[in-house]
Amino acid sequence: MPDKSSDVVQGTLDMLVLKTLALEPMHGYGISVRIEQMSQGVFRPNAGSLFLAIQRLEREGLIDGEWKATENNRRARYYVLTKKGRQRLSSETREWGRQAAAIARILEAS
Amino acid sequence: MSLFRNLGSGLRSLFRKEQANRELDEELGEYLDMAADEKMQQGMNRQAALRAVRLERGSLDGAKEIVRSGGWESVVDTLWRDLLFAARMLRKSPGFTAVAVLTLALGIGANTAIFSLLNAALLRNLPVNNPKELVLLGTGRGQGSTGGVDDVLYSYRFYEELAKRNQVFSETSAMMSVLFGGMHGRVEGSASLEPMNVQLVSGTYFSMLGVEPVLGREFTKLDDEPLGAHAIAVISYSWWTRRFARDPAAIGKTIAIGPTLYTIVGVTSGSFSGTTVGESPDVWIPLSMQKQVSPGWNGLEDRWWDSLYIMARLKPGVSVAQAEAGINVLAKAIWRDFAGPVIPLHRQRNIDEAWIPLTSAARGLSELRAYSLPLQILMVVVALVLLIACANIANLLLARSANRQREIAVRTAVGAGPARVFRQLLTESLLLACLGGVLGLLFASWASGAILAWISAGPEPLPLNIAPDGRLLAFTFLISLVTALLFGTLPALRSMHVNLTDAFKSGRGATALGVRSRFSSALIVSQVALSFVLLIGAGLFLRTLVNLTRVNRGFDEKEVLLFSMDPSALGYKLDSRLVNLYQQLEQRVAAEPGVRADSVSLSTFNQGSWRTPVSVLGATPNAGDNPHVVHNAVGAGYFATMGIPLLIGRNFGPQDAATSPKVAVINETMARLYFPGGSPIGRRFGIESDPAHAADFEVIGVVKDAKYESLDERPQPGAYYLYSQVLEHFYYDFEVRYSGDPHAIIAEVRSAAASVDPSLPLVYQGALSEQVDRSVASQSLTARLSAFFGFLAVFLASIGIYGLMSYGVARRTNEIGIRVALGAPRSRVFWMILRDGLLFASTGLALGVPIALAAGRLVSGMLFSTKPADPATMLVAATVLIVLNVTAGYLPARRAMRVDPIVALRYE
Repeated sequence: MPDKSSDVVQGTLDMLVLKTLALEPMHGYGISVRIEQMSQGVFRPNAGSLFLAIQRLEREGLIDGEWKATENNRRARYYVLTKKGRQRLSSETREWGRQAAAIARILEAS
Repeated sequence: MSLFRNLGSGLRSLFRKEQANRELDEELGEYLDMAADEKMQQGMNRQAALRAVRLERGSLDGAKEIVRSGGWESVVDTLWRDLLFAARMLRKSPGFTAVAVLTLALGIGANTAIFSLLNAALLRNLPVNNPKELVLLGTGRGQGSTGGVDDVLYSYRFYEELAKRNQVFSETSAMMSVLFGGMHGRVEGSASLEPMNVQLVSGTYFSMLGVEPVLGREFTKLDDEPLGAHAIAVISYSWWTRRFARDPAAIGKTIAIGPTLYTIVGVTSGSFSGTTVGESPDVWIPLSMQKQVSPGWNGLEDRWWDSLYIMARLKPGVSVAQAEAGINVLAKAIWRDFAGPVIPLHRQRNIDEAWIPLTSAARGLSELRAYSLPLQILMVVVALVLLIACANIANLLLARSANRQREIAVRTAVGAGPARVFRQLLTESLLLACLGGVLGLLFASWASGAILAWISAGPEPLPLNIAPDGRLLAFTFLISLVTALLFGTLPALRSMHVNLTDAFKSGRGATALGVRSRFSSALIVSQVALSFVLLIGAGLFLRTLVNLTRVNRGFDEKEVLLFSMDPSALGYKLDSRLVNLYQQLEQRVAAEPGVRADSVSLSTFNQGSWRTPVSVLGATPNAGDNPHVVHNAVGAGYFATMGIPLLIGRNFGPQDAATSPKVAVINETMARLYFPGGSPIGRRFGIESDPAHAADFEVIGVVKDAKYESLDERPQPGAYYLYSQVLEHFYYDFEVRYSGDPHAIIAEVRSAAASVDPSLPLVYQGALSEQVDRSVASQSLTARLSAFFGFLAVFLASIGIYGLMSYGVARRTNEIGIRVALGAPRSRVFWMILRDGLLFASTGLALGVPIALAAGRLVSGMLFSTKPADPATMLVAATVLIVLNVTAGYLPARRAMRVDPIVALRYE
């Protein structure tokens, strides 16, 4: 079994957070769970890396955070994708697709 | 946008740390709760759920730490805390801090002081528009007037043609190469004449520079034509301040110089004090007034009377190389036009060979170029002193870090990584260096003023702007930083890896002492080597100075006073009335008690010279590589006044009147070079190489050679004429040989001068011996400062030896106690310790000798009658060094000798 805490590919966590938030605004734990679900359990980001990524994205102006009440009447900080974040996500997705295809071609050539 | 957001968020968490922390805590707490809730829904109890989350997602405290140290603000935060801690640590050991900061202040201050002079004299741009576009035609080496084709000085007609016909300059201007210093004028409303520095410039001078007036107007092109019609003046801001207390009513006032009244039309901006660094004109007058300002020495209409510097501003987009090519083609064309249809062969050759380089004038011309090499050498010297100081502080820090091992071990044990410890220790070094830098800056502002006063010729310091500017502050900050890295890095690296078990054991173990002392010893040995090199340098420069002061001058400078006067300001003309004034002055003063001889002259020593080739009647002079004769116009009493002995023939006498046949007295070298074989008495020669004048002067006597320009010059051919027979210029110098009290003589001379002409300003210029001393001011500066810094270096190295050996003795108290207890004689203990000190000194010396020899070769050009490998200097330097170092080692050795074995062993 792969070590789940070994996290995601270097540098891609930001992109995954952006992708998650592109669907709907979410709090930190929600992001974490969603990434885990969508990757079918392959990625389970650790709290430190996740919140560091969130702080970084927020400072870059790609996401905005706001304190809101949760469905269970608690308070949590919800994050929403900004316009700039949406642009970044689409450019990064394109770039990722290009690179992944290239890597796949290299690995398949024998 | 995102930069601001980043900055804002960072600043918020920096200054509202509480709130930012609370928010992060809350957010993470929420995260934990949500994760735990989920687990509990699957049937775990809360305790187990929380543990499971921690296992899966990492610890919350860890996460907090990661997020917190992820932003840039955490670096600032730690740095600030490190600084506070460092300040606390330094306050805890005031002795160490004081020694370190003072040493650094001395080292950094010396560097800053020398650099501020270098900066002011050689690096600072002129305070004008785009100084980088300014160029000077030629090298600017030389001033005065010449005739013919050269690459330094130009005639006014040449300037006019060049300004009109060139394609490469946006504006061109000309200035007299000589500043009329000590001219006398009378300001409207004042009764007496006062001295002022007058500079003649073309109408385009200020507009080319882009210097704006603060008041009134400056000159324009219209002030160039017609000649003699523009009696106006622009005054400098500093003179306006000094003389008029910044009264706007100065505009419109007149200054009388000679018979002409010049109306003040403007005041220049405060930062501008001319284009020659180290000179400060008070008054600028249009060049077109040359004949009025300098009646005896002018020639605007003479195509070959070259006395001007030409400065110009490059057109945008024109490179210096392009401009140089264009100007040289043009200059040759102008010279050919001037020479006429039939060009004499020698002139044709001169024109063909001439090449005018364009020199950047961004930093202006500098009278201080003579100091450029000494200042650069001193810069290296003070840098070495700072290096030695760094080695000392590094050693102090090493000793300190040995005592702080326990503290560092505690920090490491509670989780500080090696990098964190390193950063903390380096912060302390930085703090030390910055304290030293600030103190050094204060020290430097005093020291550079003192050095400036020292190299200034008169009572007024040289007009040099040494106020700290951005470049100077940046320099000081940078060397403080480099210093901190130099002395702080190695000790900090060494303390990074502390062996915890050893450090927590109590007592004075032998922890890492071996490594430390090997490193410290290397530092000490290099200190000794460097200070030896500095001592050798100081020795060589001191010997040069002594040799210069002992060199045979050919005149006797003791008991001679110098005065200057300016009869042209009183409206005298170059005629018999002026000769009468000079002769009356000589006679009246000579009649005073205590005056033994006196004379008017063109120059005495080190005041510039009048030199030309000569033509000899009936012979073609072959003077080899020294084709110029130094001329002087003097009175009959000159040789008695200066103490120059007559060898053969006769001195000037009453029979030599203004109208009688012209006569000359020549020196030995001229007699040997120009009149070989037989007596020169009765032979004839002429000034300038034109054979038509070869019969002008008859040689009547030969005097001993003397120094004319500088003490280190080779013997030069020289000729003396009677001023009454060569009255082509005003002569300003008046010298008096006396015996008795010089103050009484000065008063007597003044009153005698007043009895000749009450309005004649006679200014006392000091003793001839002072003039001689001033001529070696640059050598004297180098010698004295390098001696001072050399001793400082040895002193610092000795302190270093003392410190290291004291520390060694303290560490070895135990061992010494045992040795003594086992019966070792005290003298052997003493020698055991002292031997270490001697070893440092001798190893340092051995390393220093080759470095000193190599360095000596670099400065050999600045030495006079001394070789770089002067054995006596080496011997003296080595002795001084060994004596001081052994003294430094003696004290710890004596302490070791007195160790009481019982006390030493009980202490353990």
